[in-house]
Amino acid sequence: MTTRRSFLASLLAAGASPAVGWAAVGDPAYLAAAKQPDGSYMLAGLREDGSEAFRVPLPARGHAASAHPHRAEAVGFARRPGTYALVVDCRDGAVLHQLSAPEDRQFNGHGVYSPDGTRLFTSEQRVEDSAGFVGIWDTEANYSRIGEFETHGVGPHDLRVMPDGETLAIANGGIQTDRWDRTKLNLDTMRPSLVYTAFDGTVLERCALEELSQNSIRHLALRPDGLVGFAMQWQGEPGMAPPLLGLHRRGSDPVLCEAPLGDELAMDGYAGSVAFSGDGSEIAITSPRGGRMHRFSAEGAFLGVVSRADICGLARHAKGYIASDGLGGVMLVGQGGTTPLRRAEAAWDNHLIPIRA
Amino acid sequence: MRYALMLCASLAATPAVAGVEEALTDHILPGYAGFTEEAQALAEAAQQDCTAPALRDPWNAAFDAWTEIGDVRMGPSETGALSVAFWPDTRGFTPKTLARMISGEEEAGRDPQAFAEVSIAARGLFALERMLYDEDLSGYEAGSYACTLVQTITADLAAQAGALESGWREGFADVLRSAGEDGNTTYLSEDEALRALYTQILSSLEFTADTRLGRPLGTFDRPRPARAEAWRSGRSLRNAVMDAAAAAALAHALADWELPETEAAMARLREVADRVTDLAFQDIDDPSARLRVEIVQQHIRALADAIELEIGLPLGLTPGFNSQDGD
Repeated sequence: MTTRRSFLASLLAAGASPAVGWAAVGDPAYLAAAKQPDGSYMLAGLREDGSEAFRVPLPARGHAASAHPHRAEAVGFARRPGTYALVVDCRDGAVLHQLSAPEDRQFNGHGVYSPDGTRLFTSEQRVEDSAGFVGIWDTEANYSRIGEFETHGVGPHDLRVMPDGETLAIANGGIQTDRWDRTKLNLDTMRPSLVYTAFDGTVLERCALEELSQNSIRHLALRPDGLVGFAMQWQGEPGMAPPLLGLHRRGSDPVLCEAPLGDELAMDGYAGSVAFSGDGSEIAITSPRGGRMHRFSAEGAFLGVVSRADICGLARHAKGYIASDGLGGVMLVGQGGTTPLRRAEAAWDNHLIPIRA
Repeated sequence: MRYALMLCASLAATPAVAGVEEALTDHILPGYAGFTEEAQALAEAAQQDCTAPALRDPWNAAFDAWTEIGDVRMGPSETGALSVAFWPDTRGFTPKTLARMISGEEEAGRDPQAFAEVSIAARGLFALERMLYDEDLSGYEAGSYACTLVQTITADLAAQAGALESGWREGFADVLRSAGEDGNTTYLSEDEALRALYTQILSSLEFTADTRLGRPLGTFDRPRPARAEAWRSGRSLRNAVMDAAAAAALAHALADWELPETEAAMARLREVADRVTDLAFQDIDDPSARLRVEIVQQHIRALADAIELEIGLPLGLTPGFNSQDGD
């Protein structure tokens, strides 16, 4: 029989307050970080209609956040070069855990939970040469670090769990950076790649664009059938207007998604976020520098543009996409056009993170 | 990189609306009307006499008119400006496409409507600059394919000018005016329209300093004079100064208060520009000539600083949250 005393004791043994699910914080669909008008930072949970499920303070501007699949907790990564990450209770913003990168590692701003929520995988690079690593953390044991493996590339950025639930897709950005000032050191020799590994680090496949080696692969979007979209940032000479989006299916060659020259130039060589549409028939990238979003078919054909200043955050939505921007706008982009959902008194940061993968 | 800016929430919105209307009626709409007029004059001149010597004056007049609004990159001009002024041409598309069209006597070169579908690199003012000034191209005779091609490019340019003008007058001007109203999905509040116009001013000056001047300046050890904008026609300095003057004029239209620092900065810019020895920057291998161009570049940036001080600061406009942040 469980007595009140033994119940409390078991909680204390677990070292945490009772874990609560996302329903307890208003059932948000997305996480979004933002800067508030007073200069402070916060993490918000947004519902599909753009309304705010919760808002908790963050101690500093973060990079991307990741949502635990079941518990209402999120991990936010410090700005690069990141030495720490914070696990935040989305009920009140309490910092549940602080993750410190090992001495010779830096967090690269992205992380992802395993589908069962027991593991957190973090994108990291070795300080001295930017060689890529994935850090493995046990969320059941106070987020203790239990291992790491190589990404077989330089400067990894985004990483995702494939729909099979047991494979990681890792974007190796390819850029080696100076440990102190983040100066880019290898733009003439960089070799970005998309690498697939098992959770133990076994490499399953590697995909690279030999002819666009200065196109840093940085952000990923996954479709339930395993199609991967990868968004790129051009590091070569300005004005070259390279494609900024690619599609890859394991075992196949990548497909580049090209926009007309004038549109490509207007993106300014930069894609900040990528997402498939809700029904998976489309994929889109955003460029805050160009103030535009480019939509493509899932086969790679250019479909059109949405213009919106400082647009960056992008995620799938039941009716298409949801996008956020630095002016506080949250927009629904659907087949029928663009619908503003709200304009918050806050500058939304780079990414909108779907809570349920 | 183009600027994007964020407007702080504390701003009163009323002066913003006034500034947007004045920017439209005092600067932007007349600018497009003026460009349409000159582009049409150029197309008509090409019908009379297509040869290069006959068209250089009207081409320059059209380019002058373009500088009034050429750096406005929003609404119909967001990509529409690129097919009028395709520069910089990092991958050399313009000469390649023109050479291919001429050698193959491609049919699209005879038909302004079909020509609207060719690569934007073969259209507009910079394609014409090649045809009118390039030593290898400009010697064409009346009646040749190249002559017809020039007539086609000028007719297409006039059509583009008209489309931009009506796109603004009959479409996008009202998007700016109706900022914040229901159904406006581009500007979700009144102040966003002001912010967008202000952004165009700083983007223009940044582009002039970093690209129009910075690209040919290259590094001290390796200047790149052949990368100057419109060097074949000797317009490199003229474009930089006229584009800066247009940015300052848009700033004046946007602000309904005095801008003494901006005016003084523009006057100093004209003074230092007068000291540049080669208007096409082809002498910047010479350190003292290079220095004169660098000084112009500094004064372009000083003009941007003055506008930030006199418009951005009082209105609380700061750089964009995401666009300034590599990720």
